[in-house]
Amino acid sequence: MAEAAKKKKKIRIKSKFGEGDFYIVVTTLILSVIGIVAVFSASYYTAISKFGDPNYYLKNNAIWMAIGWLAFIVFSMIDYHVWSKFALPAIIVGFFLLLLLFTPSSLGIAKTINQATRWIQIPGTGFTFMPGEIFKPALILFISWYFACKPSRAKTLKGFLPVLIVAGAAFVLIFKQPNLSTAGTVLLMALGMLIVAGIKFGWIVLAVGVGAAGFAGLIVLKGSYWLKRVTSFFDPFADPLGDGYQVVQGLLAFGSGGVTGVGLGRSMQKALYLPEAMSDFILPIIGEEVGFIGVMVLLAVYMVLLWRGSLASVNARDMFGTLMAAGITIHLGLQVILNVAVVSASFPPTGVVLPLISLGGTATVLFMMELGILFNISKQASEKETL
Amino acid sequence: MKFKLFKEAKRTKTGYKNRSRMLFVFFFMMICFAALALRLGWHMVIKGDEYAQKALKQQTDDSVVTAVRGGIEDSNGNALAVSASTNTIWVRPKTVKGNGKTTEEIEKNLSEEIQTITEILGMERSDVYDILTSDKTLIRLAKHVDDEKADALRKADLAGLEIVDDVMRYYPMGRFGCQLVGLTNDDGDGMTGLELYYDRFLSGMNGRWISSKDRSGNPLVYGTNKYYSTDDGYTIVTTLDMNIQNIAEEVAQKWLKQSESDRVSIIIMDPNTADILAAVQTDEFDPNDPRAPRAGDEEKFAKMSDAEKVAYWNKMWRSFLFCDVYEPGSTFKLVTTSIALDSGAITTRDGFYCGGYTRVADRTIKCWCYPGGHGNQSLAKAVGNSCNMALVDIAQRMGKNTFYNGIEAFGLHKKTGVDYPGEADNMIYTRAEANIVEISTMSFGQGIALTPVSLVTAVSALANGGFLLEPHLVKEIRDADGKLVESFGRTVKSVPISAQTAQEMLEIMEYVVSEGGAGKARISGYRIGGKTGTANKPVAGGYSSDRDVFASFIGVAPIDDPKMVVLVICDTPKVKNNQGSNTAAPAAKEVMEAVLKYMNIQPHYTDAELKRLNSKLTTVPDLTGDDMEDVIGRLAGKHLNYNLSPALEDPNSVKLMVTDQYPKPGTEVNKESTVTIYYEIITDEEENNETH
Repeated sequence: MAEAAKKKKKIRIKSKFGEGDFYIVVTTLILSVIGIVAVFSASYYTAISKFGDPNYYLKNNAIWMAIGWLAFIVFSMIDYHVWSKFALPAIIVGFFLLLLLFTPSSLGIAKTINQATRWIQIPGTGFTFMPGEIFKPALILFISWYFACKPSRAKTLKGFLPVLIVAGAAFVLIFKQPNLSTAGTVLLMALGMLIVAGIKFGWIVLAVGVGAAGFAGLIVLKGSYWLKRVTSFFDPFADPLGDGYQVVQGLLAFGSGGVTGVGLGRSMQKALYLPEAMSDFILPIIGEEVGFIGVMVLLAVYMVLLWRGSLASVNARDMFGTLMAAGITIHLGLQVILNVAVVSASFPPTGVVLPLISLGGTATVLFMMELGILFNISKQASEKETL
Repeated sequence: MKFKLFKEAKRTKTGYKNRSRMLFVFFFMMICFAALALRLGWHMVIKGDEYAQKALKQQTDDSVVTAVRGGIEDSNGNALAVSASTNTIWVRPKTVKGNGKTTEEIEKNLSEEIQTITEILGMERSDVYDILTSDKTLIRLAKHVDDEKADALRKADLAGLEIVDDVMRYYPMGRFGCQLVGLTNDDGDGMTGLELYYDRFLSGMNGRWISSKDRSGNPLVYGTNKYYSTDDGYTIVTTLDMNIQNIAEEVAQKWLKQSESDRVSIIIMDPNTADILAAVQTDEFDPNDPRAPRAGDEEKFAKMSDAEKVAYWNKMWRSFLFCDVYEPGSTFKLVTTSIALDSGAITTRDGFYCGGYTRVADRTIKCWCYPGGHGNQSLAKAVGNSCNMALVDIAQRMGKNTFYNGIEAFGLHKKTGVDYPGEADNMIYTRAEANIVEISTMSFGQGIALTPVSLVTAVSALANGGFLLEPHLVKEIRDADGKLVESFGRTVKSVPISAQTAQEMLEIMEYVVSEGGAGKARISGYRIGGKTGTANKPVAGGYSSDRDVFASFIGVAPIDDPKMVVLVICDTPKVKNNQGSNTAAPAAKEVMEAVLKYMNIQPHYTDAELKRLNSKLTTVPDLTGDDMEDVIGRLAGKHLNYNLSPALEDPNSVKLMVTDQYPKPGTEVNKESTVTIYYEIITDEEENNETH
């Protein structure tokens, strides 16, 4: 009991949020502040040369971040159990939106950029969003709900087959856009949640085996193109002008930063050398400006958030909370890992944003929403320590 | 089971397995984080410097700020070479066609662009059309475009046009001294002539601007920004005097035609400082378009291979006066005589006998007058007669070592050290190679080849009291603000002869002009000295015919206070009287007369001259023993004509020696009257050693 009391003294904040995990708020705040600063620093040169306004992206980002925080607050205050009611409608809407992308472009709904149809444009407005991004929280909600209803479903293939079908169907639809990274994220998130849901160890091994075989199959089937992507891990500079251009420019930024960085705002690589410096490739610019030490600090902040997310999952009040928290944490962790893997030339270049840091839009709002839910889960768990 | 869309999940309990699985997933993610941290460490710490270098390379703009090349001026400050900033316009024909989708659109774009370009640059429409429709990626539209026009083009913002700043080397005087001034190459570095020799002074120090730039090349306000200032090149002030050069130029061109020579070269030196006042050769080129073939060579040039073209250019840009040697012939007798006089081996009072030939070792050396002979002659007369026998005698009297010591004291065994690139070496037998035969022929200027500049420098020693000076083309180097950086004055290299010998030599030279064979160089009112020379060109296995000669004259004016030494060389004159006395000497006279006037040196007429000028009388000279060359020269000096008896169709086809004359020597006759000359013909057999 003394131990429990000691724990109670620790990380508790009393506010109108109720008692929640203080660390989740603080790390989220730190990350969003870093994001605002980093996006501004990385984007202002491009903003000047494109729009003549150095604050163009800053303003844009600040608006989305504000909406994101609103979402965080609202969702943190709503009992997360409410969402389980919407699991089925959410996944149906998710699929509906994914299918909308297959409508003919003449309807003006599906929007194609660089030969990839990933965006839905709300007719009459310039507003666009990615159904793939919306599908992810929907999938988290669906899987959590599915296993919370009957945890024993995880024990048999027959039991968790619907999850595989849903995730597999989504994978195919998103892969067709094409958007390999989102499709892969969806699949890995499903796998992660299945693991937490408690599928047998053998299935995990099989899934990893199938994944590895699939990757190897891609290399064999698609031949040299994929082989080249693999070899670029060892020699990132082999193709500095073609597909590897961004990665190479990112590495040059990392290298320029060295251990301590060139100083905030003093990145050279953002001067049009590194396209997408404010979105997918923002980490190299951060690395250039604040160095290896700064990047490690940033990763540490993520680690703290992921740890608190995992704790929320472990300490959650019930199975639904555990799986929701797990899904959200896995979603966040997976995105960070994939993004860092891409910019460090450890993984073929795919478009994955760095959560909360990269120039956001809908993705930022969705993450803040998920983190709000996570905070709510942690708040309810606090009443009953279980681990 | 009834399907319910909004079905809340049951509040099932989280199992131990779920919790441990979550921790497993977290642990797995942390492994990934650790791996990625290592990977980032690899890039940022271990490979950091290497990447940073690469990044720096692409981010840094290291542009050279070209220093303005210094000018080249004549001694009066007239610009001979200047640098001007210009623009070169390049075109990318593919871009010109632009975004036009239909043929009509493309044609319209094209014709609009051509219209604008023709208006601004004033080029022919058809020329512009050809360039803009060329199938090359990048082609030059125009060069040397001034800034105003370039700005107009910039404003017009035409597709596919690139305007590049350029510095152009411009030679305002055109052909004036083109071989001397020299040329720069496409990079603006000295390539030939003074441009090359003084390149390190002229070129200045390029500045550098190292700055950070964005990917489009625009400079960044932060990052590196270093400027290393430019030091503009120095101005080279030459010893050349544009006025004297122009005089020499005009005379050379005139006598090129008059003597029907392949080339006439003139070099004028101030004997007191060894300043080269003018250096002219008639085969010039346009330094502002130095790669254009000479008029008449276009067809030949077009057929040449690249290597042949380079050879052609090098020949065209070459200075004969500094970079080539020729046989000086009789003009060298001055050097031989002065060495002998100075050594004391002979005196001005000595007499020399010419029997027409002499035996030297196993060879017979003949005088030009063989089978006749000059008989007994004074030293001055011997030089005036250009008697080879006398010179052989002189050389033998002083001996090889004295002769060679003298040649070395005159600096003829090596380069003069003139400040011009590629000066040729004189060709002289080494002391060891030279035996009595070589000494004997060298004495009268055969078997020896000199650069014109070295001969002028040596003869200048006779005119300046015995000092061998280092010749030079540049007197001052000034910086961009006009401040003196360096000046080159009189540099004495040796003293080959005494002042007395020099004076005696001047008198001999004066005698040669006033009484000897160089009469066509006489100028009323001035004391002029000189010596002619007509040297057959050495060809494989012997010497060329008498038609293929270097006819030359070297003169000093005025004798009482020498201001110039002039060497005129006519290469292969084709007129009948092709000797130096008839071609180079009158050309030199015209040069000296004009330059003396330009130098404002007043004539002093002797009483006899005044009398002759005023009266119409002149004194008939003694022509006995002379050859045709002397006859022409000496009679011309006295304003007399000649008449050969018996008449000869071509007096130059044979060698003759005057046996008698009418009126007799010393007779006062009217100017322009005719002297009848009686002669004997010297047979041409076995002639291979003559020079006179």
